[in-house]
Amino acid sequence: MNFSAVLTWLTFTPLIGAVAILLSPKNEARIHRWVAVAFSGLAFLLSLWVLLQFDPSNPGIQFGENYPWIATFNIFYHLGVDGISLPLVILTTLLSLISIIASFGIDRRTKEYFFWFLMLEAGMVGLFLSLDLFLFYIFWEVSLVPMYFLIGIWGGPQKEYAAVKFFLFTLFGSVFMLLSMLALYFASGTGAAGSERTLDLIRLAEIAGKGGLHLTIPAMLVFLGFFVAFAIKVPAFPFHTWLPLAHVEAPTPVSVILAGVLLKMGAYGLLRISFPILPEATKMFIPVLIVIATINIIYGAFCAMAQKDMKRMVAYSSINHMGYCLLGMCAIMGNPNAAHAGIVGSVFQMVNHGLITGSLFLIVGVIYDRTHVRDIDAFGGLASQVPIFAGIMIIQVLGSMGLPGLAGFVSEFLCFLGGFGGNFDGYNLQIWAGISIVGIVITAAFFLRMIKLVLLGEFNLKWGGQMPDLTARELVTLVPLVVLTVVLGIFPGLALDLMNSTADRLIQIVTLKPF
Amino acid sequence: MKNIVLLFPEIFLTFWAIFILLWGSFYPQGRKSFIYLSLFGLLVTLISFLPLYFLGFLPWAEYWGVDPLQKVGGWIQYPLVSRMISVDSMSVFFKLAVLMCGILVFLISIDYEEFLPIPMAVYSFLLLISTVGMMILVGSIDFLLAVIALELSGIPLFILIGFILKKGIGTEGAIKFFLVSTFSTGLLLLGISYYYGYFGTTNLVSLLSLGRSPDLGLSLTLILLLAGFGFKIAVVPFHMWAPDAYEAAPTPVTAFLSVAPKVATLGFLLRVFYNHQALRLNYILAALAAITMTVGNIGALKQDNVKRLMAYSSIAQIGYFLAAFSAVGGLNGMGSQALLLYVFIYVFMNLGIFTGLVIVSNQTGEENVPAFRGLAQKSLGLSFLMMVFLLALTGIPPLSGFVGKFAILGSLLKSQGLLWLAILMVLNSVVSFYYYFRIAQEMFFKDAEPASKPLQFPPALCASMAIAFALTFLVGIFPNSLINWIRTLLGS
Repeated sequence: MNFSAVLTWLTFTPLIGAVAILLSPKNEARIHRWVAVAFSGLAFLLSLWVLLQFDPSNPGIQFGENYPWIATFNIFYHLGVDGISLPLVILTTLLSLISIIASFGIDRRTKEYFFWFLMLEAGMVGLFLSLDLFLFYIFWEVSLVPMYFLIGIWGGPQKEYAAVKFFLFTLFGSVFMLLSMLALYFASGTGAAGSERTLDLIRLAEIAGKGGLHLTIPAMLVFLGFFVAFAIKVPAFPFHTWLPLAHVEAPTPVSVILAGVLLKMGAYGLLRISFPILPEATKMFIPVLIVIATINIIYGAFCAMAQKDMKRMVAYSSINHMGYCLLGMCAIMGNPNAAHAGIVGSVFQMVNHGLITGSLFLIVGVIYDRTHVRDIDAFGGLASQVPIFAGIMIIQVLGSMGLPGLAGFVSEFLCFLGGFGGNFDGYNLQIWAGISIVGIVITAAFFLRMIKLVLLGEFNLKWGGQMPDLTARELVTLVPLVVLTVVLGIFPGLALDLMNSTADRLIQIVTLKPF
Repeated sequence: MKNIVLLFPEIFLTFWAIFILLWGSFYPQGRKSFIYLSLFGLLVTLISFLPLYFLGFLPWAEYWGVDPLQKVGGWIQYPLVSRMISVDSMSVFFKLAVLMCGILVFLISIDYEEFLPIPMAVYSFLLLISTVGMMILVGSIDFLLAVIALELSGIPLFILIGFILKKGIGTEGAIKFFLVSTFSTGLLLLGISYYYGYFGTTNLVSLLSLGRSPDLGLSLTLILLLAGFGFKIAVVPFHMWAPDAYEAAPTPVTAFLSVAPKVATLGFLLRVFYNHQALRLNYILAALAAITMTVGNIGALKQDNVKRLMAYSSIAQIGYFLAAFSAVGGLNGMGSQALLLYVFIYVFMNLGIFTGLVIVSNQTGEENVPAFRGLAQKSLGLSFLMMVFLLALTGIPPLSGFVGKFAILGSLLKSQGLLWLAILMVLNSVVSFYYYFRIAQEMFFKDAEPASKPLQFPPALCASMAIAFALTFLVGIFPNSLINWIRTLLGS
C-alpha cells in the first residue's frame, strides 16, 4: 500500500479537525472533545503508518513531496521525513493525542481550546516535516500563536504575563531567524537561470558543501541569527527565563506539549538547519555551545533543586535535560564514532525527554487536580494511599534521573559518550562533559527528594479522602508513556535503528566528508 | 489630447461625484442611497480599468483613437495624454489600490452608528472627490499638477475629519490637519519654485533624466519636496498631527485617512525619487525610515484609544514602506516590488481592523482598547477575524503581512549597507506585537461584561470584512500571482 501525499495528510489532518471544531456548535463540549480526539488519533495512525513503511537503512529523505509554491521566489512546498524527523513526528502525534485526552477536564470555552490545540499540532507536525526554510518558518510561527492563547486563556493566575513573555521571547528569536534565512537565500545563487536562489534545506546543504554559499555578511552572524531563535526555544542558557513561568502558568496538557514537543523544535532546528548548512560556523561555535550545554545541565539541575513547586521543578529539570541534548550535538565534529553516539543520543534524548517529562507533568497534574496544591512539602506518604499512581510516578522519576533499564539512561549515556569523544582541532570537550556528569548526581538528588517528600513518610491527613487513585482517563494518558519508557529502555534499538543511517549522513555532511 | 480616453476613470468619477452632490441638493435627507450610488460609481470606475489594463492585448486600440503601448524606463507606458499626466502600469496599480480603499470605506460607512442621523450626500461627494484627487496624484508627472491633486484630495479631508459636529475634538483634529497640511503645501511650493529655478520647468522628466549627481542646492530642493510629502504621509518628524486627526475623525474617515492618502503619496514619491541613489537621497530615506518606524511603534505602546493606536501603527507602517523605498534600486528592483506588494497588502489588513472597530464601537459606543473586552465570548468569528488582521499587521505567517515584510526585508538585505535597517525593522516588529496583541488580550483573555445591546453584523460590514479577510488570507498563502502581476506591471 502506498499513497504519495501521506505527509500532507498527516500535517493537515489536525487542521481539518480544527476547522471542523470551528464549525461545530458553541456549547457542545462533548463534540469538541471527541472531534479533537478523532482527528489527532487519525494523525497518530497516519504517523504510525509512515513508521511502518519507513526504510531505516535509507539515510535520505523519504515520502518526499515537492511542489512549486511561490515560484517567483523559487520557494517550494517540500515535505519529507528522515531518521531524525520521524521519531519527533511520532512523538508529536502521540503526545498530542495524549494531551487532548488529558484535556477532557477543561470545561471552559472548549471550542476555542480544542481548535487551538489542533492548530498547534498541525504546526508542530508541519515543522518537523518541512524541508523548505520558508515553510519551516511558517510552521514555526503557526505553532507559536496557539500556544500563546492556550497559556493566556486557560492558564494560572499569571497567565497573561506568561503568555506575553513566551510570545515575545520566541518572536524575538524568530525574527533573527528570518534575517538569517534571507541572508542564506541571497547567498545561495545569483538569481540567474541555472543559479536560482533557494530556501530548500537539502539544496542549501548541497550548495554549502560545494562551497557555493556566497554570504555577504559573516557566516557566524547568520549562524547566530538561527542560534538565537533555536536557543530560545530549547531553551539554552541565558534565554531560558520564559520557560519556568510558561510551564507553571500553562494548564497541564499544554505543559506536556510545551516540554514534550515545543522545546524539541529548537534542538531539531540546530540539527536540521544550522549544522548542515553552516558547518564552518558550527565548528567555530561548538566550543561556546558546549559551555552553554554544561551550564544548562548544572544550572538547570540546581535551580530545580531549589524549587518548592513541583511543576516548576519539572520545568527546570527540562532545562537540565535539554542540556544533555545539546551536549550530544557538540560531538559532531569529533571522531566519527563519538559523533555518531552524540547525534543519535541527542535525538533519542529529545524523544525520551518528551515521553518522560511529558508524563511527569501529567503526574503533577494528577496531584494538582485533586488538591489544587503543587507544593512539594504539602504531601507525604501518598504511596500508601494511591499505589498505582506511586508506581507510575516512581518509574518516570527514575527514568528522568537516567536509571539504567529505562529510556532516559540510554540517551544520556550516548550523549556523554559523544561528549567525551568530541575533541577536535585541539578543542577539549572532555572537560565540559566531565563537569556535566555532576548534573546527573544533582538530578538524582532532587528527584529522590521529591519521591521521598511526596510518596514516602507519613501521610498528610489533610488530604484524607481527597486522594483517590488514578481514574481510567488518567491511566489511558499515563500508561502508554510508561510502557514506552520501559520498552525503549530495554530495547533502545527500536528507536536508534531509525536514526543510525541518517545520523551518519548528517555527520558526513557537516564534517564535509564525501558520502 | 488625443488619448484622453485613457483618463475615462477619473473623468467619470468626477462627474459622478458632482451628480451625487446635485442629487443630494434635491433629496437632502437621503442616506444609504447616496452611499450605494457612490459604490456603484466606484465599481464602474474600477471596471473601466479593465479595457485600459488589457489595452495592449486588444487589437482595436486604434478604434479608440489611442496610440499603441510602449515601454519607457522601467514601466509600461500607455501613450502620453499630456505633458502633465501619465497613464502607465504603475499609476494604474496605485489607482486601483486607491479605488479599493474607497470601496471598502464606503462599505464601512453605511452602518456606522454616528452617521445614522446625518444626510450623506455631501459626505459621499467629498470622499469621491478626494479619491479622484489621489488618482490624479499618482499619475502626475508634473509638480504643479501634483500639488493641485494633493489639495484636491486634502481639502475634502479637512471637512470629513470634522464631519460630526457634536464632538468638540472633531474641530480640533480638523484644524490641526488643516494647518499642518497647508504648511506642508507651502514647503512643497517652495521646493517646486527652487526646482523651477534649476530646470526652468516643473516637469518631472527633467529630474528623471538628470545626468549628474545633484549639487547642494538641488539636494536642498529635493529635501524640501521630501519634507512636504513627508507631512502628508506622517513621516517622523512630521507626524504630530496624525494621532489627533485620526482620533477626531469619524471611524470610516480615519480608515480612509490611514490608507488612501498614504498609498497615493507613496505612488507619487516612487515616481519622483525611484532613482534616489543617483539623487543621493538613499541615506536620508533610510534614516527617515528608521526613525519613523521606531517612533511609531514606541508611541503606540501606551495608547488606549484604538484610533490613536492605529495612527501610531500606521506611522510605523510608513516606516516599513520607506524602508522598502530606500532599497528601491531602480524601478524594477526588489525594493519597488516590495513596496507595491506591501501597499496592496497594507490596504486590506488595515481596513479589516477598522471594520472590526466599527462593529465593536457600534455596540459599545467606545473606541478604546477595553471596548474589545471579552469579544471572543460574544462573537468568536469576529474576534478570529480581528486576530487575523492583527497577526498580519505584526507580520506573522501565513498571512499577507508576513509576505510583505519578507519582501521588504529581502530587498533590504539585497542592497548594500542596509543590514542595520533590516535588523531595526525586525526588532520593531517585535515591539509592534506588544501593542497589537493588547487588543488580542482584551478579546480573548478577559471576560465579557454584560452589554446593553447585542453585536450587529449588517451585510455591508460583513462584505467589507469578507473582502479584507479573503485578500489578507489568500495573499498570505498564495502570494505568487500577486507578485507576478506586480512584476509584470513594473516590467521586470
